[in-house]
Amino acid sequence: MKQRIGVYICHCGGNISDYVDVQQLGKLMAKEDGVVISKDVMFACSDSTQKEIEQDIKEKQLDAIVVASCSPKLHTHTFRGVAIRAGLNPYNYTQVNVREQCSWAHSDRPMDATIKAYGLIRAGINRVAHSEALESIEIEAQKAVAVIGAGIAGLRAALDLARMGNQVYLIEKEDKVGGRVLTAGKLFSSGENGKDVIEQLVRQIKQMTNIQLFTNATLGKVSGSVGNYYMDVNVNGELLKLHVGSVLVTTGFDFYSPGEGEYGFNMSDRVMSLQDFNMLVEGSNGQLMHNGQPVKTIAYIYCVGNRQSKGENKYCSRQCCTAAIHSSLNVHEKFKGVKAFHLYRDIRTYGKHELLYEESSRKGDIYIRFDEKEPPVVEIKNGKPFITVKDYLTSKKELTLDADLVVLVTGMVPRSDSTQISELLKIPIGNDKFFNEVHPKLKPVETVIKGIYIGGACQGPKNISESVQSALSGAAKINSISRKGSIKPEPIVARVDADICAWCNKCAEVCEFDAVKPIESSGKMIAEINISTCTGCGICAPVCPVNAIEIAYFTDNEIESMIDGFAEPADIAPREEVKETASTGQSKSLAGYPKIWRTIAGAMDDKTLTIPEIAGLVNISNHEATWNVMTMNRYGFIEAVGLNDDETHYNYKLKR
Amino acid sequence: MSHINPNFAEEIKRFGAVDFDLCFNCGTCTAICALSTNDESFPREMVRYSTLGLEDDIKSSLKPWLCYYCGECTTDCPRQANPGELMMSLRRWLTSKYDWTGLSGLLYKHLAAYIVGFVLIIAGLLFFGTRMGWNQDRIMHIGHYFEMVAIGSVFVVILLPNLIRMWYYTILKPGIKAPLKVYITSFSDLLLHMFTQKRSLDCEHSFNTKFKWFEHFILVIGYLSLLFTTVFLDWFSSQSTFVIVLGYVESAIIFVVTFHFVLKRIRKTDALHKFSQPSDWFFVIWLFLMGISAFAVRLFIDLNIMQNNFWLYMAHLTVLVQWAVIIVPFGKWTHFLYRSFAMFFAKIIEQNRVLTVKR
Repeated sequence: MKQRIGVYICHCGGNISDYVDVQQLGKLMAKEDGVVISKDVMFACSDSTQKEIEQDIKEKQLDAIVVASCSPKLHTHTFRGVAIRAGLNPYNYTQVNVREQCSWAHSDRPMDATIKAYGLIRAGINRVAHSEALESIEIEAQKAVAVIGAGIAGLRAALDLARMGNQVYLIEKEDKVGGRVLTAGKLFSSGENGKDVIEQLVRQIKQMTNIQLFTNATLGKVSGSVGNYYMDVNVNGELLKLHVGSVLVTTGFDFYSPGEGEYGFNMSDRVMSLQDFNMLVEGSNGQLMHNGQPVKTIAYIYCVGNRQSKGENKYCSRQCCTAAIHSSLNVHEKFKGVKAFHLYRDIRTYGKHELLYEESSRKGDIYIRFDEKEPPVVEIKNGKPFITVKDYLTSKKELTLDADLVVLVTGMVPRSDSTQISELLKIPIGNDKFFNEVHPKLKPVETVIKGIYIGGACQGPKNISESVQSALSGAAKINSISRKGSIKPEPIVARVDADICAWCNKCAEVCEFDAVKPIESSGKMIAEINISTCTGCGICAPVCPVNAIEIAYFTDNEIESMIDGFAEPADIAPREEVKETASTGQSKSLAGYPKIWRTIAGAMDDKTLTIPEIAGLVNISNHEATWNVMTMNRYGFIEAVGLNDDETHYNYKLKR
Repeated sequence: MSHINPNFAEEIKRFGAVDFDLCFNCGTCTAICALSTNDESFPREMVRYSTLGLEDDIKSSLKPWLCYYCGECTTDCPRQANPGELMMSLRRWLTSKYDWTGLSGLLYKHLAAYIVGFVLIIAGLLFFGTRMGWNQDRIMHIGHYFEMVAIGSVFVVILLPNLIRMWYYTILKPGIKAPLKVYITSFSDLLLHMFTQKRSLDCEHSFNTKFKWFEHFILVIGYLSLLFTTVFLDWFSSQSTFVIVLGYVESAIIFVVTFHFVLKRIRKTDALHKFSQPSDWFFVIWLFLMGISAFAVRLFIDLNIMQNNFWLYMAHLTVLVQWAVIIVPFGKWTHFLYRSFAMFFAKIIEQNRVLTVKR
């Protein structure tokens, strides 16, 4: 128990003190058990106050402090710094939030806000009285990275990681690198060929001495945690053991493969996927030929195997629209007189890809919109595809068209072997079966396993530049760990009481971070927490049947004492001068404002009037009336009360 | 069930359509059109039919004629797809479909055909003049009768069959069986729209619209009454002061108004004047030439200098024949006729629908 506690209650320059009676609270807190000093301060975070607290800690030999001000998100590190500078353990300090949780949230009821603040500060004092000094942990981190998958994302990330000085092991299961881009043909918007882009990257990679590339390599057992992962890699039947600090997974995606007979797939060789079609275009010269016959009309069917509201893949692969339109434009560029029909559900050519859509329309490509409920029907008549479709842009008129080729624009699906990778690296899988990041916006390349990062299309459909961007952001995250050479996680982790624990495995089952492992200790099996992977989330503590686990900084003692502190009734006298914030109920005085405003207010009285009516009453121009009424509205003297009966003007009324 | 014709876009572009394939079907044009209604909504639907090449649907539709080309849709189109100009092109295309001779389509698509036609007429008139020994009285006498004969035969041989074809495409073929009573009660609409173009006043409400309507109105009245004055009151030989002054006023109206029309097409300030086709130019220029040459001929007669300037009458006659033989039956003049009949047919269809619902 701490016996020399300092309490600092912040005015926040009025943000808190206008509503919460901080002066009274300061006096009341001084009476609490163990409190040696209690003050109300204007700005707790200001330099002078920080110095004042440091001085108090030293002079009064404080062993714990409570700062009641704003959210801990804002100033935890500020006051931890104060504690450290004064020689106090930073975990013997507690932040109480009386701004966001009291003054701001209850500005309409200042008395209640004060009572709530009283309870929260008391809870903080009780907690800090039970606080322990915690020592930070430091773990050595390897300056080596494994990149799994040598597609464009993996290649680019490996290059960046190597340039930043990391040893990179690039692991590819195929016999050649480049993945999907290798066979993608001409790319938008640079116009380069995918093969050239990959060759250029490989040339650059070969120049780096700190990248080791393994092809025909598969991932085996993985153990360890952030900073020190041990992984088995099988390279051409040979076992290789790697020791790396972090892992970047860039395993990419598979194209959806249409089912037998889906839009005529496999019923005729004239129905093909977009990828096969691109190869056909790439291979044809002079005239687009298919099996020795010229191709004059092409029907592209979009959203194949994607956006199935009742099927497997509910998501949109978002890059296929652009890919199909780009292919169509390539065809127009290479061959003359080819007509294209695009049978789509919605066109999603976001960003500058819109230019492609416009260009394709200009070239006379015909866009036909269908609904998922009424998809086009492809029949093979006399060896040629014949399509029937209900066009939603022509009030569902049933249209027919002949096409020499039907191109199925297929979406992206997760790699068939992605479950294997996810099991080895413990990467969670989302609803769409792709790898799941912690948060799509706040932590877009991190997985719940520290040190394992995902990039590129393995975490969801992406185009090339988006894939590379996400892989590079993973590389940057990895470098921030390996650069320091060590990791310093917060000491807020789970602790096991070795005497009580009897290893029932319940905690290991619930742990999302794989941080609990059994070990032998004085002749019995107990749970051991890996402090480098434990995040202190606390999920293990309540499931323990014998209460052998507690979380540092959130011990049962601390939490229970907080509840006690908060529950005790407060004895607070109302402030003499309670600041009035709600509107007074009286109309505001127009003194000091333009004379015309008083004339307008006089003319309006209790009536509801439009601007032309006001102008007529006061005998000013509509223009002048508009300007003045608008400004009066802005200053809160007048309010708009809806349209008039003709719906030509707004009605205005004096605010009372 | 309709079959898509991807080649239609190129066909309609030869009739003057510009960039309409850029349309992404937002419907702004239809929303903004003052004449489009829930029952008769355009132009988006027509743009869509054109993209898909649904010729039968376009041929049976009267909607292109319901548009008076105020140009609002073109101005506000977010894709600059020129829906207004497409509607204009569809009207040209439709006249070529109504025309049984097929000459309309030929003239719209080939400027050379127009020029050949004009040159042939000049040659024919020179031949005729020589045959007549350049006898002024005889030529003017025959010229006067030519007008009557031309009006009658063009109407009977070309325009009437074309109107019947139009009726077949838009009423008979789609299976509209309206009783005779409906035709009779709707007939007043035909005359109303033919002579007043009343519907165009419902376009965007502005001074510009009203002025445009007024110009067009006095031009139609001026043109029709000049026709009457020359043919039946024999303006060029008349001794009546009233008739002479009337003719002057009518021909002056024609050349002043058409001069303004030509200027507008040159200046291209309105959407509707931005994409003038040869047929548009010939229509306004020939009308202008007719007005001014008729005015000058009568002036020369009154000043007694006609005898020495007979070339002027020959020039007037050339313009007149070119107008009557080419522009009236196959050119833009037919729009005047088809549009009023379209309004008449639309009224019949609407009344018939009301009748069917009642039953």
